[in-house]
Amino acid sequence: MDNCKPCGGAIPLCMVGEFDLPEEIIDRKVTKMKMISPSNRAVDVGQTLNDKEYIGMCRREVMDDFLRKRAKSLGTNLVNGLFMKLEDPGQGNGAITIHYNDYEADSKVGEPKTMEVDCIIGADGANSRVAKNIDAGEYDYAIAFQERIKIPDEKMEYYKDLAEMYVGDDVSPDFYGWVFPKYDHVAVGTGTVVNKTAIKTYQAAMRKRAEEKCAGGKIIRVEAHPIPEHPRPRRVQGRVTLVGDAAGYVTKCSGEGIYFAAKSGRMAAEAVVERSENGTKEVDESDLRLYLDKWDRKYWATYKVLDILQKVFYRSNPAREAFVEMCADEYVQKMTFDSYLYKTVVPGNPLDDMKLLGNTVASIVRANALRAAGKSQVNV
Amino acid sequence: MSMSIASTATFAVNKVAATSKVARSAKAAKSRSSVVTRVAAETKTRAPGPLERGGTLEGEKAAGKDAGAAARAAAASSAAATRAANADNAVWSDPRWVNGTWDLSQFKLADGETDWNAVIDAEVVHRKALEDCPAVYDEDGLFDTSIVPWWVWVKRFHLPEAEKINGRAAMVGYAFAYLIDAAGGAGLVDLHQSFLGKTAIFVTVAFCLFVRRLDDLDTLGVLADEATFYDKQWNATWEGKERPSDNK
Repeated sequence: MDNCKPCGGAIPLCMVGEFDLPEEIIDRKVTKMKMISPSNRAVDVGQTLNDKEYIGMCRREVMDDFLRKRAKSLGTNLVNGLFMKLEDPGQGNGAITIHYNDYEADSKVGEPKTMEVDCIIGADGANSRVAKNIDAGEYDYAIAFQERIKIPDEKMEYYKDLAEMYVGDDVSPDFYGWVFPKYDHVAVGTGTVVNKTAIKTYQAAMRKRAEEKCAGGKIIRVEAHPIPEHPRPRRVQGRVTLVGDAAGYVTKCSGEGIYFAAKSGRMAAEAVVERSENGTKEVDESDLRLYLDKWDRKYWATYKVLDILQKVFYRSNPAREAFVEMCADEYVQKMTFDSYLYKTVVPGNPLDDMKLLGNTVASIVRANALRAAGKSQVNV
Repeated sequence: MSMSIASTATFAVNKVAATSKVARSAKAAKSRSSVVTRVAAETKTRAPGPLERGGTLEGEKAAGKDAGAAARAAAASSAAATRAANADNAVWSDPRWVNGTWDLSQFKLADGETDWNAVIDAEVVHRKALEDCPAVYDEDGLFDTSIVPWWVWVKRFHLPEAEKINGRAAMVGYAFAYLIDAAGGAGLVDLHQSFLGKTAIFVTVAFCLFVRRLDDLDTLGVLADEATFYDKQWNATWEGKERPSDNK
């Protein structure tokens, strides 16, 4: 339970409110974001935020530890162990047996133990063993690669409350590269789905793009982790269900997963509490499916919109140029931040939406025209 | 006109990477739903062509016969190979690029109007240069393509394409009108008045609009699949089961 999860660490504003997170676990409040296109067009995003709105950057080990301790103080039984496998005799035939290695006594060598439970909520991340045990199926995943770089204080000042996002074929063919400020260093990384073997090339290109801004920095840590691209085919099986990265609840386009992991965990737990009538009744698959249905209905729109954005704007360099151009628009910034910070897809003014659609199409057409002109121009 | 633009925008490439055939064909074969994007490495070095050698003429005969920047860029192109090779060497510069955007006052025509076509040409070279060799700049770019008026885009890019499509539609229409008339059917005016004729005309126009090349048929198919694929992935867990919310 003392691992340090490789993660961007960005949490939306609603998470702080919904989960009563104290201000101390937030290292930095990012209020400005810079999006940089392949042709170095830079757009500052964040002018529409008010004083109370921010994107919280946190260290996962700090936040995870706080949540765990709080759960323990509310009566949860914490076990420092490694899940090995589960045995389910079937509905109505008795409890599920969990086989795990207990690390409480000795943190190096685990002691094999078993535990009997009524239902399991698998929250063990992208490489979930619980998912493997219940044959939940595979998902496509992106590989995210990140280097933590300690840069000199003057350079760190530039990133005081600014995060950067770099798009381009050199940085990633279907994702983006980022520079996120952590508490005293920056995390520079990139990711990809379609060309995982070239991730080091993309990272080198990302470092080159941020060269000036991170000059004189020292790499203090290198991390890589898979990011699910879509939910697993079977998110529930009998009395076992999955939440968070284990279920594949990561959005496209931005790759956000922390809030959805926490929220899905909460919703699954609420479903169990409600249907088991505070632990007096047995829970079965239909009860767990209640949580799945509620989740799908609540967040389907968010995921679909981000999927469409990714398909439209991460397609090619002209599309990315158009993306950055669109982000200069105040209406776009307002809609983006409203939906990111509060996790609701707000329709907004229909007239402005039509204008936005027109501008989007125009941007994409112009960017593609410039690229086509570049290809065909052979003025010898 | 493009020659004068080439002389003002310089794109100096010290070491020109040889274009490997593998990389070029990989780029051409890339469709939207393909999974493999090969990062091309320099494989064989071909003998440099005349463009790369700096031309076939020498001395006085070569005066004023420089290749355009875009042509030189095209000779050195092919994505990652060029990028990797030229990353440290290529420098794009243009005196008309001031403070992160194009200085429109340097793009004036004889009568004082802004030469938008020159702006577009310059931006094309700029984007191509930066795409091939992503460079590190101190300043942030600010140029927004929407400052170029809409009629410039229409005139330069849409009209030629529209002309081509209208031409195709006209050829198809003329051929079919003749055949239908010869087959004893309606003449041109009657064609427009019958329902079947109107439908046929509508279908032809729509077809020419959406399917400009035969490849577009595949693209449309891929787009249709893509639009629903994510939904299928999300609904996978509900296969064979009913959603509680559907029962209500």
